[in-house]
Amino acid sequence: MAKKVSAVKQAQAQAAAKAKKGGGGGANKIVVLMILAALIPFSLPTVTLLFFCGLPTLGAWAGEKGKHKYAWLCVGGLNFAGIIPYLFDLWFGVHTLDEAFNMLSEASVLLWAYGASAIGWVLYMGTPPIVKSWLAFTNDRRVSALKSAQKRLIEEWGPEVTKKG
Amino acid sequence: MAEAAEANDGVKESVAVAGPPGVLRDRYTIRSNQPIPELSTPNAEAFVAEDKRDTNRQLYALICRPELPPRVNVMRALKGLQAPGLVQLVEWGAMNWPPLGRQCMTVVYERPVGKRMMTSLRQEFRRIDEYDIGRKVIEPLMAAIKELTNRGITHRAIRATNLFYMDDAGERLALGDCVSTPPAFDQPLVFESVEAGMANPVARGSGTYSDDLYALGVTIIFVYLGRNPVAHMDEETLLKMKIQQGSYATLVGDERLPLALVELLRGLLCDDPDQRWNIEALDLWLSGRRLSPLQQRVEKRAARGFPFNGKEYFNCRELAQAMARNWEAAIPPILEGKLELWLRRAVEDKDRAQVVSDVVRMALTGSGDKRSASDLMLCKVLNILDPTAPIRYKGFNAMPDGFGSALAAVMAQKGDTRLLVEIILREVPRLWFEARHSYLPDNSLMEGNFRELKGYLSQTGMGFGLERCLYELNDALPCQSPLLGEDYVVELKELLPALNAVAAKRSDPKQLPVDRHIAAFMGARARSDIDRNLTGLNDPEPSKSLVALLNMYAVFQYRLGPESLPGLTAWCGALAGPVVGAFHSRDRRKELEKELPKIIRRGSIVEIYNLLENQESRDKDHNEFAWAQAQYQAAEDEIRRVQTDMDERHDEGDRAGRQAAAVIGILIAMITTTIVVILKVW
Repeated sequence: MAKKVSAVKQAQAQAAAKAKKGGGGGANKIVVLMILAALIPFSLPTVTLLFFCGLPTLGAWAGEKGKHKYAWLCVGGLNFAGIIPYLFDLWFGVHTLDEAFNMLSEASVLLWAYGASAIGWVLYMGTPPIVKSWLAFTNDRRVSALKSAQKRLIEEWGPEVTKKG
Repeated sequence: MAEAAEANDGVKESVAVAGPPGVLRDRYTIRSNQPIPELSTPNAEAFVAEDKRDTNRQLYALICRPELPPRVNVMRALKGLQAPGLVQLVEWGAMNWPPLGRQCMTVVYERPVGKRMMTSLRQEFRRIDEYDIGRKVIEPLMAAIKELTNRGITHRAIRATNLFYMDDAGERLALGDCVSTPPAFDQPLVFESVEAGMANPVARGSGTYSDDLYALGVTIIFVYLGRNPVAHMDEETLLKMKIQQGSYATLVGDERLPLALVELLRGLLCDDPDQRWNIEALDLWLSGRRLSPLQQRVEKRAARGFPFNGKEYFNCRELAQAMARNWEAAIPPILEGKLELWLRRAVEDKDRAQVVSDVVRMALTGSGDKRSASDLMLCKVLNILDPTAPIRYKGFNAMPDGFGSALAAVMAQKGDTRLLVEIILREVPRLWFEARHSYLPDNSLMEGNFRELKGYLSQTGMGFGLERCLYELNDALPCQSPLLGEDYVVELKELLPALNAVAAKRSDPKQLPVDRHIAAFMGARARSDIDRNLTGLNDPEPSKSLVALLNMYAVFQYRLGPESLPGLTAWCGALAGPVVGAFHSRDRRKELEKELPKIIRRGSIVEIYNLLENQESRDKDHNEFAWAQAQYQAAEDEIRRVQTDMDERHDEGDRAGRQAAAVIGILIAMITTTIVVILKVW
């Protein structure tokens, strides 16, 4: 176990060293961003719709601190579910910037997109307490099972079984 | 003691004690209300005995004193023996004796028709002249001694006061009891050789047939003269005279004896045991062959006396005897070198002087306790001055083979045993054995035994200590345990039945069926080495000590019987709690508790032992218990871990919750996309 821990630590140290050097990770991100920037002229209406409707996702991403960010995934998932029907309307209808702005000017589009995001937030806020309660419940069951096993041992072997051998 | 014995040597005035009779071996009825004072010995009262199978048979019984160890080995050898010079020993054994309310060793003898030849040492009686003495006295007594010698035993009670006429005509003489007391305990000093006479009466030891021949010699003088020739002398004077003038000269004095008797008596009363006549010489004499009389070799007289304790002593033996009697006063003159000087100049024995000088120098220069060194030095010096004398230490004088009976007597009388313990621990007997001039296998054996005794004394637990020494030294001594009450247990096979009998009477339910005496008795009597079990008996853990005891009792029951001992088994079973408790498993305990009463009913200690000391079952219990302990600890650790890592678990739950939410969000997005695609495309 000690060896494994040290291996993990080593990997982490190596990753940190690479990050310091500003190596491959940063360069990849720039490449991806450049490709996305190059695609913008060909799908500007989509990007516009996605940008305005996806603001809650961006907000969730920017607002969550810490190493592991899950809020944007949850909020973004529902946000995307709210946008996707309009995206299809745009793609299979008139795929222009005007149409995109027309859609954005409709309250229902934003309502669906932001409403779904709100549900995402509710889901994100509500799930951890439920999971924690469930975990606590299973722990309690485990402890009581162990205690009853100990009781059985005492009944069978007497109180001296509690002493360390 | 010897004086007391002499005083008692006359017929004892016994008080008739009314009461029920004692019964020996369901056959001999001993009438406690019919004492026979004329047949009593100084330490055993005589009573009328009847044989239920032959009521006409004339018998009498001697009741031994409980505080004196009788000679059980000699009883075994003499039972039923019909020798011309011996009153027949018909039966012996321990018997419940109503007047004392306890078990007493009882010896049944054929009752002499005639009287005792001499009732007291001061009495005059009808003498036997030189023509009859050979036929009437010497021949039967010599036959008796021969018979005893063939059986490897000695009589040690040959004296005129222990001779009985076995017929009305006064033709047939026989020797009376010799087993009711320790060897030679009842012997007045006059019948004992110089060496044996120096020893305490209880510690004279069995000796050799040579001692019996000496006593025979003295008896012949008494019988020939019809009186005690030294009746006017006290014991101290008599011993002094024997040392100074020799036994023959002291006892015969100016008496005129026939030449044939002179030769015989000079041979039998020779003070040098190596020169003293033996059975063959006596046989030759009886067959008519005459030898020139042995000349007494008297010890060289010193040119000047050694002043000690207000008197002057002219020979070493006499001086050694005086010093042994005045232990404290003897040490200073020796340490000051006066004895060495006297030996060198007055006795002109330079070798002996040099040895004394060496011994004194060692005592003065040696490290350790000065007092103890001085005592041992004196002991060595006494051995040098008189090598044939008994072991002498601080007033206690004992022949090596008499040490056991002395210890038995002291312990039975609850006397002070410190001196005897000191003798064993300081290896005083070894000094005596080292002073022997010639090698004797018996001495080597005894020396080894004393070494073992020291080992036993150095262990203080049950089964060892002084009690062990007592039973090792007295192989026929009954077990003295108060637990056995008045039961007379001489052999190991009698122990378990005796314990079985007393089981119902025990008052303390927690009392183990063993004590120091019983443990020591078992240790000494068991043929196999049970010292390891005896060590286990002293284990502070009650379960281990009980198992060790059960082990021994089980072996004895298996080997010696009896098959059923319900009382003792119940006793052991009642104490089995700690052994059952030593099993960890409650189920196993219940099983054992259920099984025990069944075995108790069968009375088998062997089965109890096998049940409680089943090694396989014990190992299984031990292993399973260890496993259960490990299980318990593992559960304990896990509970602790679950309860102590709450913060960590909280964080983990939170993260898992957020992850789950993210996954659900993505899944909803994917499902929605799929539905939308399906709706738009189709």
